[in-house]
Order: sequence, then C-alpha cells, then structure tokens
Amino acid sequence: MVSFIGRRLVAGIFLVIGISFVAFILTNLVPGDPAAAALGQRAIEDPGTVAAFRAKYGLDQPLWRQYAIYLGNLVRGDLGISQQTRRPVGADVAKFLPATAELALAAIVISLVVGLSLGIVAAVFRDRFLDQLIRVLSLGGVSVPTFWLALAASVVFSVKLGWLPSTGQLDPGMDRPTDITGMVLIDSLLTGNGETLTSALKHIIMPAVVLAAYTIGMITRFTRASMLEVLGNDYIRAARAKGLPERTVLFRHVLRPALVPIITVTGLALGSLLSGTVLVENIFSWPGMGQYAYKSSLALDLPAVMGVSIVIAVIYVVINLVVDILYSVIDPRIRQS
Amino acid sequence: MGLLATTMALAACGGSDSSSDTSSSSSNSASKTLVVDAVFSLKSADPAHNYEPTGQIVARALYSTLVTFAGDDLTKVVPDLASSWTTSDDGKTYTFTMNPAAKFTDGTPVTSADVVFSLNRVANVKGNPSFLMDGLTVTAPDATTVVVESATVDSAVLGKLANPSLGILNSAKAKAAGATDAADAATTDTAEQALNAGSMGSGPYTLKSLDLTTEVDFDINPDYWGTTKPTYTKVVLRNVDAAQQKNNVVTGQSQLALDLSPDQVKDISGGEVVSNSVASQYTFYLFTNANPEINQWTSNRDFEDAIRYGIDYASLLELAGEGSRQAAGMIPVQLAGALPDSDAIKRDVDKAKASLAASGYDGSPVQVSYPSDLTQNGVSFTDMATRIQANLKEVGINVELQGAPITTVLDLARGGKQQIGLWLWGPDFPDASNYLAFGPGGVVGGKRVNWQPGSDPAIEALMAKALETTDEAERISVYQDYQRELNKGPVMSLIQPAQVFLSASSLKGLTYNLVWTVNLGELS
Repeated sequence: MVSFIGRRLVAGIFLVIGISFVAFILTNLVPGDPAAAALGQRAIEDPGTVAAFRAKYGLDQPLWRQYAIYLGNLVRGDLGISQQTRRPVGADVAKFLPATAELALAAIVISLVVGLSLGIVAAVFRDRFLDQLIRVLSLGGVSVPTFWLALAASVVFSVKLGWLPSTGQLDPGMDRPTDITGMVLIDSLLTGNGETLTSALKHIIMPAVVLAAYTIGMITRFTRASMLEVLGNDYIRAARAKGLPERTVLFRHVLRPALVPIITVTGLALGSLLSGTVLVENIFSWPGMGQYAYKSSLALDLPAVMGVSIVIAVIYVVINLVVDILYSVIDPRIRQS
Repeated sequence: MGLLATTMALAACGGSDSSSDTSSSSSNSASKTLVVDAVFSLKSADPAHNYEPTGQIVARALYSTLVTFAGDDLTKVVPDLASSWTTSDDGKTYTFTMNPAAKFTDGTPVTSADVVFSLNRVANVKGNPSFLMDGLTVTAPDATTVVVESATVDSAVLGKLANPSLGILNSAKAKAAGATDAADAATTDTAEQALNAGSMGSGPYTLKSLDLTTEVDFDINPDYWGTTKPTYTKVVLRNVDAAQQKNNVVTGQSQLALDLSPDQVKDISGGEVVSNSVASQYTFYLFTNANPEINQWTSNRDFEDAIRYGIDYASLLELAGEGSRQAAGMIPVQLAGALPDSDAIKRDVDKAKASLAASGYDGSPVQVSYPSDLTQNGVSFTDMATRIQANLKEVGINVELQGAPITTVLDLARGGKQQIGLWLWGPDFPDASNYLAFGPGGVVGGKRVNWQPGSDPAIEALMAKALETTDEAERISVYQDYQRELNKGPVMSLIQPAQVFLSASSLKGLTYNLVWTVNLGELS
C-alpha cells in the first residue's frame, strides 16, 4: 500500500508540472496584454508606467525564462505575486481556499445524504411512482443551469419568503470568528460563537444546496443504477431465500458493493465542486477561490491563474488517491490486484 | 450651462432612521451600519495605485484631498485640506494655504510636507493615477503652504487635485510602512500592502479591512475634522453580482445598490425603497479607423457619414433604458463644455444612403470590434453592437461583429487596428480638456483612430485654443465648437447610459459625483 501511494504521489508531481506548463502556455496564448488589463485605458498609454509594470512582474523577460523562473519559484513553494491583489498568490489561495472548501464540503455532504437516500429509494421502488418521481427530479438536478437555479432560489427564499440571506458568508459588518481553520462555520463552532454560527449557517444553506443540485442528481442516478445491478445478482436472491431481513440485504449485501462506482463519482464530484464554484460564488458573493479565479482570468493575471490551476490539480490528485485507497478498503480484491 | 439641469440631487425623502440600522450586523446596539452593494472594480486602497470606480469610492472615504467637490457639483472646487488658494496671473502657479484644523486619524496635523510627499509619491510610483501629476511640480515653502506649478496653462489642475487618488497620506506613517516619494519609487516603494491593511489618511472613515474581491469594511473616524461628520459607525461595501443587488435592497440586506440597470428598477414605485436614474459619466462612442491600410472604407469620409446618419440613436436609447440620453458630443452633460441636445446627430436614412453611394462602397464587410465581456450601467456592448449592425444593414452597410474580451480588444485598439471600434469613455478628471483625447493626434484620436495631427487644421486650431483659453465662458464656447467639428469626423458619440441608484428611502445625502460615484461620508 505504501509503495502504491508513493508511486501515485510521484506521478502527481509530474502531473502538476505538466499542468503548470499547459496553464502557462494557454494563458500566454490568449490574445491580450496583462499590462492593459491591469493598468486601464489611460495608464497604458504612459510608456514609463507600462515599463514599470512589466519589469515588476517579469513580463519583460522572454517566455521561456518566465516559465523557468516560475518553476524555480514553484519548487520553493512560491507561486508568485498576483498582478491584481499585488500579494503572494500562495497567501491569496490560503485566504480564499477555506471558504470554497467549506462551501464544497457542505455541498458534498448534502449531495451524499440526499443523493444516496433518493437513489436507494428509487432502486427499491423500481418502476413505481416514487422511482419515476425521483428520476425526474434527478434529471432536473443535472439539467437545470446553476445560474438560473441560484437566481430562482434567491427570489423565492430571500425576496419572497425572507428566510435566507442571499449575499456573503456572514451578516454585513459582523466580525469573523477567530481564525483556526479559515472556515467560518467550523471556526464558529470551535470558538463557541453562537451568533456567527447562526449567521454562517443561514448564509451557507442556499449556495450549498444550489451547488449540490447537480451532484445530487448525479449521485442519485449512479446509486440507483449501481443498486439495481447488484440487486440482480444471484447472491442477493440467495440472501433473500435464506430469509435475511430486507434491511440487512439492502445495507449489508447490496449497498456495500454498489458503493464502488458511487465513490468514484463522489470523488470526481468533490473535485469539480471545488473548481466549479465560480458561478455560485459570484452570484452569492461568496468570498472564495471561484471569485478570485474569475477575476484573475478576466485580468490575465498569469501568476494567479497558474496558482489556482496548480492548487486545483493538487486537489484532484489527492482526491483520486483517496478514492483509490477507499476502493481497496471497500473491495479488498482491488488491493490484491 | 446645462450642468445644473443634468446633475441630480438624490436626497431621498422621509423614512425612519431605524431602517438603515442593520440590526443583525452588530452586537453593539448603538452602532449604525450602512451596507452598500457594488460590482467591484477595485485594485488597491493605496491612493497611488487606485484608479478604478470602486477604488475611488474607497479612497474618497479614507483620504482627504487638497480641494474637493461638494455633492454632485463639479462646477465649483471647494476647500478640503487647503482652506484657501490663489492662482498666479499666468495661470500656471497655484498656492494653497493648509487648514490648521485638518488632522489625520492619529491626531497629528496634516502639513504641507505630507501633501508634497503624497503627490510626489503618486507621480513616481508609476501607478494607474500617476498621469494626473504629469506636468505638475509640488513644493512646500513652509509648513502651511503648498505650491503647485503647472508646466503649461491647465484648467484641469484643481479638478485633478480633487481626485481621491491624490489623497494625502500621513507621511510619517507611510514612510515607516515603506512608502517613498523618490524618483525610483516605482521599484522601491513597498507600502501598498500596509495601506491595504489600514488607512493613513484624514477622511471621514478608516479602513477596517479590505478584500479586493469581496468586501471592504470601514469604521468611523470619530475625530473627523471636516464640517460634514460621518453618520455611520460602520460601512460595509460589498462586491455583489448585479442580479442580486436589487434583492438585497428590497429585502433590507443592504441600503444602496450601485449597479442596476433601468430595466431592473422600473417596477420600483417608492415606499421603503426608492430608485433614481441620472445620466452616468460614461459616453459610449464609435469610431471609424482613418487609416486606409486598415480599411479602405472606414477611412472614407462619405462612408463615415453613412455610418453617422445610419445609426438609429433612438433605438440605442431604448436599449439603455430610462435615464440614459443621447450624447450630443463626447463631453458628458455634467461637465462644462457639453453640447446642448439640439446638436445631437439625428438619424437620416436617405442622407446615409446618399453618402454611402458617394463613397463607392462595394458591400464588402467591415468589422465592428468591441469588448464583449463588458456591460456598463446595464448596457451590454454585445447588444449595442448587434443593434448598430441592424441599423447599418438598413442603409446597406455590411457589418461583421467581432466581440472579444476587453483585454484582447484593447490590444487591437492600442495598435490602431480596429476597423470600427465601439467603446466607452469616462472622464479621467472633471474637465472638458480630458476630451481633447479624441481629436487628431490625441490618445484616442491619434493612436486608436489613426487621425493624424495635421489632417484636420480646423479642429486642431480649436484644440489649441481650448488649451490656451482661461476665460470660463469662452472656454465653454471653444469646447462646444470643438465638439461640433468632432461630430463631423471619425469619432461618433452615441449615448450616455443611466446611472441607477436603488436605495432605502431612509438613506439621505445621496448624490452622484462623476469622479467618485458616491461619497460615503455624505450619506446619513
């Protein structure tokens, strides 16, 4: 197992270098001048200001040298300086990632609880009304555009019903809890701050559910399909013939083998949730990495775009590794092979 | 002239003060919090690096300037840190006397040395607003006197000095944080992060926290020395998607929204929420490239006229919504020198077709390029380009749309390679001279339109005269004549979209200022 993890980590390092190269090339291929994006229409006409900007961010160097310098810095853990925030990209990521992680984790928890439950119910009641209803709902979950769902949810739950706030992570002007993990919800819990905990909970519900909608639909459909496949096996019929209670059959003999593809989907979904929060974060003004990535892309902020790409790549590598390890826990045959 | 008619006091009527208390936002019952929603265009809280619309709101709240404007009135510069000033007979030297009451938030007095340091730092740090200091030299003969000398007669000097980017820093604190005004400040000044973490000014508010992508929090400056004391103990300026801003004001989550379109507020009919629309600072314009190597048709004067008279300006106004207006010239109606509405170009399809025939146009496609990712005051460039394409098709011009991200199109524009460019312009400083950029040889006219110096002596004579004229009435007349000539050339002003404010009816003191949009210190 240790050598397996070691091999995957080494492969991950090469993957990250490859992604940094692709991100660098793609960002430089985009027509447009980072200096124009950063300086604006007026200052861009001043050669002195433009020269100072280019020198400051190394844009006056040949491309190959820019990339070599970037890689050298990357090895030392330095992701460069953002042209937008003028702060180290590493510091920016450390600041924005917890909010995105908090949102994505909340969304994945909601997705698993709702998606698994609906999938199991749909499989058990196959081809009956409940199954049909769940299939329609799951199809809606994967089909409805996120931006539409976000705006519709805001109108209903914020404007019409007044139940939930639609902007930010906390009430305006409210002090954040003492920074422990960077995640407001968890830090509020850890510090026992009831007021911020309540506010944070109210603020995360809507974006998390909207973000989870697609994943709920996906997990529901995978769970149903996977459960139905296992339910058709001979050993399930044998278990039932032995007179085992239906609950035991379902949760011990059906769900466990059915979990393997579901774990794959969940792992991939978590990765895509982390990188796919751009729309949700922008609509709900969530102070996370999605907004940072969006603004950086618009501004051709090369170090920030590269930094976010690399961080997302690392997260994908880690998630895939965890998924592989979980496979072997759930199904020892995979480890043996 | 049309100035008073076009600026608009947005002081809202009546309402209880409690509606502007954000009770859920603070554990301190005595605190009063103002929440403002905006789509952020913000890069720094350091005045020397700030020149974006949201940044101007921030800097105006944190830093005082030598002089300023009251409310929305850009016709008259009023004292701020300088209690009075004189202008030399040749119009090149301004001598300011500092207000002895002016104090930084730490209680130390604002001196002339602070002014010299701050303004020189802006010039030398080579940030976005550095151009405001072009041609200006600042000295301090004594602790209470500041002398600003301009290399040429420049009627815009006072207006430039009112810009929040020329806000005055507490030089002792700034130097301790790594600020320098030396000639090599572009590479040696290291104070920006400190200024993003906390303000060092003498404005009505102090910076509590800054997040360039999400939220800026302000605390009241309890010892603010100015005459209009700030009302709110806290102000929260949030980056909120335009689609959500209306919801937030309507539900009381915020008290002011700055980025709504006229369509979004047309169902607002008073009560606890009020909306106001005024012409914004921006002028949408179109230009035809004057270089025949770029396109043989766009450089043809008859073809220019065909476009000018082929555009249906009323349809563009319909797109921009209530509160927008046709731009009679490039200078916005809020500034002295703007043309009256009677000078606005009117669509004349017959004239357009006749001009097109005279040009010999063969029907080959001409490209209109524009920033497809940009929407200003609810007006999408893509929608506007599409409508212009339809307008021009009616007169027989075959337009091909070339939308691209603003960074891409800006590159094309800077290289003077756009066949037809669709853009907007907001004043860099509140003076008509800023619009000389559109004439032959100007920043836009010369470099982007390829309208070379010497190509149009009549308009160039007016440009030179405008710079030399000091008498205000005559200046206005010259700038109007300049625009009438401009309206015959390759630069075509289109519309001024509407700036819409949606606010809680209890919010008072709201005015639209072209330079900083909203003065948080005036809101109560």
